[in-house]
Amino acid sequence: MSARIDQTATGFDFGLAKRNASLEASGVKAPNATKTGTTIVGLIFKDGLVLGADTRATAGSIVADKNCEKIHYIAPNMYCCGAGTAADTEYTTNMISSQMALHNMSTGRESRVVTAMTLLKQYLFRYQGHISAALVLGGYDVTGPHLYTIYPHGSTDKLPYVTMGSGSLAAMSVFESRWRPDMERQEAIDMVKDAIEAGIFNDLGSGSNVDVCVIEKGKVDYLRNYAKPNERVQKEQSYKFARGTTAVIKTSIRDLVTVTEDTAMDITA
Amino acid sequence: MDMLATNPAVHPTSTAKQAAFSPYADHGGTNLAIAGADYCILASDTRQSSGYNINTRFAPKTFKLSDKSVLATAGCQPDCNMVVTRVKHSMKGYKYTHNKEMSTPAIAQMLSIMLYQKRFFPYYDFNILGGLDEEGKGCVFCYDAVGSYERVPCNAYGSASALIQPFLDNQVRNKNQQGKEKVTEFDPVARLSIDEAMRIVKDAFTSATERDIYTGDFLQIFIVTSAGVEEQLHPLKRD
Amino acid sequence: MISDIVAQYTTPEASLGFGSEALPSQRGFLSGDVAHQFNSLAFDLPRTQDPVDFLHTYTDVKSAEDNLIKLAHGTTTLAFKYASGVVVATDSRATQGSVISSQSVKKVIEINPYLLGTMAGGAADCAFWERELGRRCRLYELRNKERISVAAASKLLANMVYSYKGMGLSMGTMISGWDKTGPNLFYVDNDGLRLKGDLFSVGSGATYAYGVLDSGYNHELSKADAIELGKRSIYHATHRDAYSGGSVRVFHINESGWEFISLTDVDDLHWEYTDQARAP
Repeated sequence: MSARIDQTATGFDFGLAKRNASLEASGVKAPNATKTGTTIVGLIFKDGLVLGADTRATAGSIVADKNCEKIHYIAPNMYCCGAGTAADTEYTTNMISSQMALHNMSTGRESRVVTAMTLLKQYLFRYQGHISAALVLGGYDVTGPHLYTIYPHGSTDKLPYVTMGSGSLAAMSVFESRWRPDMERQEAIDMVKDAIEAGIFNDLGSGSNVDVCVIEKGKVDYLRNYAKPNERVQKEQSYKFARGTTAVIKTSIRDLVTVTEDTAMDITA
Repeated sequence: MDMLATNPAVHPTSTAKQAAFSPYADHGGTNLAIAGADYCILASDTRQSSGYNINTRFAPKTFKLSDKSVLATAGCQPDCNMVVTRVKHSMKGYKYTHNKEMSTPAIAQMLSIMLYQKRFFPYYDFNILGGLDEEGKGCVFCYDAVGSYERVPCNAYGSASALIQPFLDNQVRNKNQQGKEKVTEFDPVARLSIDEAMRIVKDAFTSATERDIYTGDFLQIFIVTSAGVEEQLHPLKRD
Repeated sequence: MISDIVAQYTTPEASLGFGSEALPSQRGFLSGDVAHQFNSLAFDLPRTQDPVDFLHTYTDVKSAEDNLIKLAHGTTTLAFKYASGVVVATDSRATQGSVISSQSVKKVIEINPYLLGTMAGGAADCAFWERELGRRCRLYELRNKERISVAAASKLLANMVYSYKGMGLSMGTMISGWDKTGPNLFYVDNDGLRLKGDLFSVGSGATYAYGVLDSGYNHELSKADAIELGKRSIYHATHRDAYSGGSVRVFHINESGWEFISLTDVDDLHWEYTDQARAP
């Protein structure tokens, strides 16, 4: 009766992507995905590397989350900052993280940053940029500190200091003017903080707080909300409503359990 | 129709169609106005942006027209600027011919016609005109882009209007609050003192700054009373 | 004296459409009364090959589509003639796209003490052209020493908007009033269509209003019943049509001109009518 669809075509089917594009062209609006407009950065210092991110997530011109986490866990020695569609960065990093864990268990060796980078770029390339994830991957493995950027189409860069996201230009201006090799740990953290703050204040897609993650040999310091340069001011007054403010149209009270008198527990014994 | 012949802008000889004439841009920002019994408050943020970029943190878009009227504009900056220039220009002309200042309701009607004269090439500009009327009562007039206007007790326009207007409806006009005195559709809000209104204005903007990326930097407040126009500047978040 | 003033505010040849006058911006205010620059019907046009196409690209009055410049537009209106006059009733909601921009619009436009217009379509279009109509009706009165008939007034309006046909005006209005011939009612819209009739409803909620109106209409209705019918028709339209709402505004016209009857929040009407239905 019902014929099975014969799946002879190999590879990926971008039919739905084409359908969405044609729907959008004919005026149908796609649902608003939460984006992380975002400033994310990373730099290498003397003993390791520092990753940084702002914490604003946007849906169009509205701030969807004022304090989201954009530095994702990959492996004990490796973290990854994500910019782009929030769901894509979240799921991509999560998936690579589990693959790294499995790889780690089957080989019994500490994960290498190149491994994660290769998995990520191969995965993103297969989807031809339709997975909107722009990543800064950093980790410290047996070969030392490594810092990569991975673009949504699957290309990668390996550099000593990198920035990504809509605030990348603002952040890069800080690095380009101040970065030098073999910086001290605190100096590196401060520079990352300044770069993120440049994004927070000058790019409308970035905002709120600064998250920092310091990765050194055998040691990771995840400094959540390292700086909070945008605390909300006290409101002028309270907006609590008086009891009875909401109009009551009708009232009905229903018993959810039926209590029967004669089933009380016998305690005479 | 003889407009094609008289309008020099239309060239009847060329047949090629212009690919894209796009004279509009949205520069963000938010305005708000509340009319009280004997005062009027207009407030705007001063951020001007294009896309994800901030053009400037201090670009006032609300202007004092006289001791009794203030005009707040939001939309495309060049269009807003043109409207303000033309209103001021005509107010001068009125003063020179009639030897008196234009009243706020008179400016309101004039602005409506001015906007309608651009019915077929609208200004991308959403205006709020506020001040005191001939009786000294607070008044707020809000407009659409082509001059439809209405006198209201309070109004919010601009990028965060969808965040602020419901707040004003609830807190200023007591909408959806059972047991509270209703604010009738046209009257200024007699119940609110200037201080109470100011608290609502400030909270509206600090809250809008939290959630709207195009609103921030500074809050400029104009308070119109019989004593004249007082201007205040308060900082807002800059992220 | 009066004729001087009339002449001053009259353009030489009754200008319909774009006259040969200079654009308002090209006139200096020092040359005379500043009011003159608002006196002529000269409109700026975009400097493109097809100004109408430009307008359609960037503005939107008819639908809730996501165009750049959203114009306020209005929505359920009705008017009907009966034995002792005309009832005019409207809702009061204005929407810009999917946003309710106002719940307190005056969709009944008082052209003069004997003439009323209604507003449906583009709010600015209705308000501007009916104001212009009021000015022309006043000039007619001054020239002819008698009031203009409803038929003539509605024809003035129809001719004015007809000269802009195809330019994107949006207006559906009912011109009603009392003249030498008694109560009169005309429908005029942006295409230049002009209809004489006993009963009209205009706007997105019109079909709902017609349903109630037609089933309750009778030429011999009492004044109170006629007013109640108008009010109820608008209420039911606001109940079903999302683009109508706010308050019901009712006017009544008889031989001494129009009279404002009531302004009632549809929320209050809703509970009033549901309570009535429940009563045994």
